[in-house]
Amino acid sequence: MTVETTRHRVYVVERPKEKLRYGQGLIAGLDVVIKHFTSAFTKKIDNHSQISGVFTVQYPEEKRPLPEAFRNFPILLYDDETGHELCTSCFQCERICPPQVIHMTQERDPQTGKAVPSVAEFIIEYDACMSCGLCAEVCPFDAIKMDHEFELSTSDHGEMTVRKNGLNRPVSYYEKIAPTFWAEAKDSAYKKLQGSMKRRSGGIGIAPHLVDKIKQARAELEAQTAAAAAEAPAKPATSDDKAARLAAIRAKNTAQQQGESPATATDADANTPEDKAARLAAIRAKNAAKKQGDEPATASAAPEASAEASPQDEKAARLAAIRAKNAAKKQGDEPAAASAATSEASAEASPQDEKAARLAAIRAKNAAKKQAETTSAEPETAATDTNTEATSTPTADAEASPQDEKAARLAAIRAKNAAKKRTEQNQDPPATDDDAA
Amino acid sequence: MVEFLRQFLGDFLPNWLIHLLAYGIMATILLVVAVVMTIVLVWIERRGVARVQDRLGPNRVGFEGSLQLIADSAKLFTKEDIVPRNADRWVHLLAPVVTLASVAMMLAVIPWGRDIVAVDINVAVLYVAAVSSVSGVGLLMAGLGSSNKFALLGAMRAVAQFISYELPLILSLLVVVLLAGSMSITGVPAIQGGLPIVGTTIEGAPDLGLGWHVFTPVGALAFIVFFTSALAEGERTPFDIPEADSEIIAGFMTEYSGMKFAVFYLSQYIMNFVLAMIAAIAFLGGWQGPGVAWLVNSGNELAGNILSLFWMMLKTITIFVFLVLIRGAWPRLRVDQLMNLAWKFLFPLALFNIMSAAFWVAITQWGAAEGLPFLEGQGALARQLIAWVVTFVINASVVYWLLRINNKPPEEEEFIAEAVQEKQTGVASLS
Repeated sequence: MTVETTRHRVYVVERPKEKLRYGQGLIAGLDVVIKHFTSAFTKKIDNHSQISGVFTVQYPEEKRPLPEAFRNFPILLYDDETGHELCTSCFQCERICPPQVIHMTQERDPQTGKAVPSVAEFIIEYDACMSCGLCAEVCPFDAIKMDHEFELSTSDHGEMTVRKNGLNRPVSYYEKIAPTFWAEAKDSAYKKLQGSMKRRSGGIGIAPHLVDKIKQARAELEAQTAAAAAEAPAKPATSDDKAARLAAIRAKNTAQQQGESPATATDADANTPEDKAARLAAIRAKNAAKKQGDEPATASAAPEASAEASPQDEKAARLAAIRAKNAAKKQGDEPAAASAATSEASAEASPQDEKAARLAAIRAKNAAKKQAETTSAEPETAATDTNTEATSTPTADAEASPQDEKAARLAAIRAKNAAKKRTEQNQDPPATDDDAA
Repeated sequence: MVEFLRQFLGDFLPNWLIHLLAYGIMATILLVVAVVMTIVLVWIERRGVARVQDRLGPNRVGFEGSLQLIADSAKLFTKEDIVPRNADRWVHLLAPVVTLASVAMMLAVIPWGRDIVAVDINVAVLYVAAVSSVSGVGLLMAGLGSSNKFALLGAMRAVAQFISYELPLILSLLVVVLLAGSMSITGVPAIQGGLPIVGTTIEGAPDLGLGWHVFTPVGALAFIVFFTSALAEGERTPFDIPEADSEIIAGFMTEYSGMKFAVFYLSQYIMNFVLAMIAAIAFLGGWQGPGVAWLVNSGNELAGNILSLFWMMLKTITIFVFLVLIRGAWPRLRVDQLMNLAWKFLFPLALFNIMSAAFWVAITQWGAAEGLPFLEGQGALARQLIAWVVTFVINASVVYWLLRINNKPPEEEEFIAEAVQEKQTGVASLS
């Protein structure tokens, strides 16, 4: 029954007419209590709308599932397979953090000193963090996410300042605690990670505790591919053409094996119309150079060189470039030796080949760079090894032809630079290069 | 205990020293048992009320939280002893001592089982009534000594309640004195053997120890009156007005903390325990129960005593569990309702019950010598049944009459209900 008034509606609850007299109310109250008492021993309820039964959660032993959107403190994500951290140190989270507890430094290339889209050190002061989740919301790379772990009490205040090692969690962990959220972010996050991985070299960007593991796995993989490559060059090459084609095919195979884009493979393959191919190679070299954004000057010089190149030299230069590229692709290791060999070859061919040699060197470098992007490992030893090789070759070139000295040295330096960015080295490139020479 | 000690030390020590030693040992045993029982009762209370409220209660310390009170008392005993600046230091200090002492003294005369009693005195009922009243002095001391308005209010309420409910409590015990024919409390369970209602009046029937007073109209009414008064005496819900924590903080205990608070707490639970024991002894047969008489008659006196102890404890704890359920179920009374209940209902009820108890005794025990020659020829069973019916009629009519005169006239009640509805809804009543 409802009673309408000017201001509101009153609900009158119908009660049983008979009054509870002579202690009936007391008995009714006791009845309720006894029902609760007995059901509390037998019934465990999850739904609070149920009237009786125990719903206490025995916390340390028993935990209620947390909602996906639960947020406590931020963590950093890294890819399970490659170990690459999603963070590119864009400083967005550091900027937005209201209590300003996020601090980071950007990773730099150890050789060039240039900034790399990766984070060197990442610190969050958990003790002052207010768990607002703005960092996770603002992160364009989905690299920082809010954790569900909340049992962080400690007697050591210093433990509440957490570094990158303590913050890193695999993507699979976040996928476990927040499956639908990650499903939404997954595609773009991985796409962006691929992009930043291309710009990382060496061990940069890999979660520190995974570096050794990944190094080991990569060494095993290399040993396998090296064994496969050692079998291939055993076949004798009768002519330069054949050798080049062989190299091209090998490059294609290795490229496919490594799951690279087919474009580079076809690039190596299409070398029958020679003029076209040379120009194509030059343009690609330029594009690659532009992509890198490293040395636009040399890249712009490359097309000129190809345009001016004499028809006789063209062939040799192209051949050398292709071989260098192929060799580089094959193992992803030996660019320095390869490019050094090409510079040698071009220098020997003729004094007027200066330009062609340069072209070859550029191509070699580009190929090496491309290769370098796909693979990564410890740069230090490889770089130093190749450096010595590379520096020794230009001096020999200089003695052979004084006019070419400059060009050869330029080519050598470029090769060296490319080699620095490269990752590893191998034993068989010299063999193939000798063939080509 | 005295004889036991005399057996070993009679040659070396004077008689008075043996007595002193014996009673010292007994007092120690009693107090230790009382404290252990308090631990058990507090555990039952906390877990029971938790279950009533759909919780689990303390379940961390010891098995299912059984040692919770030990942890709690360790906390209380390490706390600072705070005395308010304006407090009367000595009164403040002595109040818990007086309360605990008066309560602990009650333990002395309580029979724990067949032949298990510390001191068997022939005025035990009087002693219990007198000594339990002293704890009221302790409460008033606590309220006055702490010089706190809430404490004083709580103490005044407590003492008013104490005095009011002492009367029906003692009057209902008087019924038992009438039935037993003596003031000795150890004799009370002994007369409650046999079978329900008929007691030991049937020749050759087995003695199951179930002839409890509560199965007679006189005993049942007395039990209800006693139980209600015991709730008030022990300051249990729904009569916990003196320490109504939502109204006057904790009443007379407001200014107490640490050890003194623990002593109050302990005395309260011992009080409740003793009252539950007296209720069990006076109305539920005490240590009587199936098997006790059989064991004693067949020669196993020790086994019989142990069984009687078991029955006694079972009854006491059952009553306490009922107290706990009541605590979970019923709301607190107002002070005026409390006084109305005591003086307008329980007090006359207890008086009329004494009258019907007199009838019971007359019908079952008197004969020509007392001027009732017509009862002389009847058998014991017939007398018992006649007494049962007569007292039932008297008691039922008295209860009906008292309930009737204590209820408001229906017209008045209806008027009040309408007024309340008008006030709550802001709408004039429809009827």
